[in-house]
Order: sequence, then structure tokens, then C-alpha cells
Amino acid sequence: MNEIGGAPLFFLEFGDIVIYFTPFTLALFLLALVFSVFVLVSRPERQLEIAFGGDAYYAKEISLSELRFRRFMSIACGLACMGAMVTGDVFDFTLFVSLVGICNVGIVAAVRSRHVQNAAYQYGLVALAGTVPMFAAAGMVAATTGTLSMLELAKGTATVPVAARALLVLGVMGEGMAPFYAAKAEMFRAPGAPYVIMCSLSSLLIFLRVTEVILLI
Amino acid sequence: MITELLFATFFGLLLLGIHRKVIARIQRRPGPPIWQEILHMLKFSFKTTWVPATASTALFVGVVLVAIGIWTAALLVILSGGSLLVIFAIYMLHKIVEHGFGLSSGSPYGKFGGVRSVISAASEIPLFVTVAAIAIFTKSLMISDIVAYQEFQGPLLFTIPLAAVAMYVVLLSKMPFGPFSIVESKELVSGYKTEHFGVWRAGLEVCNGLKTYVLLLTFILVFIGSLPFWMILIAMILITVSLSFTCALSPMLSPYDSVTIQTLIAGLMVAYVAILGVMS
Repeated sequence: MNEIGGAPLFFLEFGDIVIYFTPFTLALFLLALVFSVFVLVSRPERQLEIAFGGDAYYAKEISLSELRFRRFMSIACGLACMGAMVTGDVFDFTLFVSLVGICNVGIVAAVRSRHVQNAAYQYGLVALAGTVPMFAAAGMVAATTGTLSMLELAKGTATVPVAARALLVLGVMGEGMAPFYAAKAEMFRAPGAPYVIMCSLSSLLIFLRVTEVILLI
Repeated sequence: MITELLFATFFGLLLLGIHRKVIARIQRRPGPPIWQEILHMLKFSFKTTWVPATASTALFVGVVLVAIGIWTAALLVILSGGSLLVIFAIYMLHKIVEHGFGLSSGSPYGKFGGVRSVISAASEIPLFVTVAAIAIFTKSLMISDIVAYQEFQGPLLFTIPLAAVAMYVVLLSKMPFGPFSIVESKELVSGYKTEHFGVWRAGLEVCNGLKTYVLLLTFILVFIGSLPFWMILIAMILITVSLSFTCALSPMLSPYDSVTIQTLIAGLMVAYVAILGVMS
């Protein structure tokens, strides 16, 4: 089961922290990279709204300050996501995933609308709660096996407790709830497609990666 | 590889044409010819194309290339006997493509199609169930290993039938005109793809053809095993026809009902794999 994401293609060692690429992690990394580039080069769409009380419609504009902040958050989210996709260390993975959660809160919360900020606040609470089991899982892995290296754990010399795996999944679920809150915000017509898509993409990618991590360790 | 890619695209579109024809005949309509989807793709390739003034241009165009790129990669992975996890990752990332299509134009119809795509995320959970059930039995997620396992142990369809049902539900949720096709229902015009026309729509048609071919091929290889090529094609047609019957005989659910039913199915499947895991 060591090659569940395909045969490893490349290892990049930083001391005992190893970054590795398999066809699976490479595909996820490339997608995070491609969408980060989209965020960098795209201007947001201008959403069409009906003007109540008449038959007119207008296009919503995003202010420059809001655009800059959301773009910054989206690129930070993309970078964190790329890190989470290729890291071979359980603690680094949890760290990157929590950073994804923070960035997602920022992406949604930057919209100046009461409904959207409510959604961001609710997601912020869920993401905050999600970090606790996630870091607890990393701590349990280190305490019970003596290592945080996924490649070492994949050898099967030490058994990772089921509770640690469950907590890791629970934590990632908390962080990965972003699309539901982003979608809730979008229902109130929050504009800014490239940024909102980073919420969905990053959440999906961390779900996919945690599946591999759980099967690997 | 180019030959396989072209064949997969055209055969996938032909399957979608058969899907439309069967649904029409069940509903006592003549229906379009079975090559209609191929004609659509060719027609859109030569139509006038531009980008709407309200669109996020880079995303509007880029997402079409991503859609074709990910399904081309999926075909490459399946033909080389690579990891099933990569195929499923690509399947899930298709949701981002739908979301990107819908949001990038600025149109409320597209946007709501994209939002519906996000809220129906429960339809992906049976995929994890399928992966987990297969991993329990074959101890590998490489498609080549799964096919080899079935040569000695018999088709997984009979070993883990409910995992096959889960995968069938996943296929159903991606078929047009099905009970779970809320992302492109008629009250949203064409849902997430409303504003993509001309060459962009042709690209989307190519993606749909590839997606249909890859998903059906994955189902056959993972649950039935290796077959002669002509039998694989016949099996694909038979599965498509069965999906068409399901689509024709069941109404399109409301978004709320669609998500609820998909969540219930996902819950049942998770319980099934938990039982399998305990028993093994």
C-alpha cells in the first residue's frame, strides 16, 4: 500500500523533512499552482444584479482595496495548499492545512456585506475548532511512533493509533468546510470568482491529500 | 496517445447521444440522432466566439483548458494502469471546473449552477467508499493491480456489490437529465455552462465526452476486470443504457432533496465499508 498515489517521482530533502512527488501529489500540486496563477492574472467578474423596482440591471464592481486583499489571501491560500500537497511530514501537513483555513476565512470575510461576513464568522469558528483535533492528531502520531515522517510511517514499523487518524480527518473536515460557507456567501451574490474558487479548490485538495495520508500511514 | 484521445472523445460523445436517444424513446419522443452530441461539438467549434464583458476573462477561458487537461490526464492514467486515487481526485476536481465555469461569467444562472455544484459535494463521498472497499480487498490502488487481482479472484462486482452500487450512483450523478443533475437544470437555463458558447462550449463538450468514457472505463476495469476491447465498448453501451433508463424514469430532484438523498446514500456506504473493514 506504500504506492497508493503511484510510484514516487522525486524526493526533495530538507534534513529530516522530505517533500515528495508522486503522480497523485504532483497532479494536486499542479492544479493548486494553475489556479494560483489564475488568481494572480484574473480580474474578478462583474456580477449582474437586477435593480429592484424597475426593469434595469447593473454590474457589481469590486473596490481596489478589497480586490488586493482577497487576491493576497487567495495566493497565500494557493501557496499553503501547494505545501500541503507535497509535504511528507504530518506536522507540516497540519500546519499548511490550518493556514489554508485561515486564508479561506480571509477570502470570504473581505466582502463588505453583513450576510457574507456572518458566513465568514461561522466558518471561522468551525475552522478554529478544526485545528484542535488536527494538531492533537500530529501530537499523538509523534508520541506513539516517535516520528512524523510519512515515508517512515508508511514502512509500517510503528502503528499509528486509529484515534490519531480519526482526529486528523476530523480536523481536516473542519478546515475543509469552507466551500459550504463560501457558497452560502455567494447566495447573497458575493462577487469575485477567482478568489472564491480558491476556497473550493483548497478544501477539495486537502480532503484528497488527507485520504492519501490516512491510507499511507 | 492522440488516437486514443480522439477515440475516447468521440465514443464518449456517442454514448451521450445514445443516452439522449434512449431517454427520448422511453418518453415516446423520436429524440435526436445518436451522433447529435458529436455534431454539437463540431458545430460549436466553428461558431462565433467571444468573452462576455462582465466575465473574469482569464478564468472564463482557462477553466475550459483545465477541464480538457484533467480528463486527458485521467485517460492517460487509466491507460497506463496508474493509481485509482488519481482518477478519483480528477473526478472530484471536476466539481471545481463546474464551479469555475459557473462563477467566471458574472451571470446569475451560471453562478447558481456553480453554487449547486458545491452544495452537492455529498455525491463524492461514495467515491471514497469505493476506494476504501477496493483497498481492503486488493491491498493496492493501482488499476493494473486491481485488474490482475480480478483475473485470479473473480470480478469485484460480486465480491463487493454495494461498492459497485456506490460507483454506479457516482456515474448517475454525473449523467445529464438524471435525478441529481441539479447543476444544469432548466430553471437555471443551462446552469453552470449557460454563458460558455462557441469554442468554449465545444471544449466543454470534449471534456464531457472524455469524462463519460473515462468514468465508464474505470467502472468496467475496477469491477469487472480485463475484457477484450470490443466487449469493453459493448459493456459501456449497456451501462449507459441502464443509466438512461434510470434517468428517464426518475424525476429531477429539487436541490434540497438531491443533497439529502446523496447524503443518505453516502452514510449507508460509509457504514458498509466500516462493516467490511471490521470483518476483514
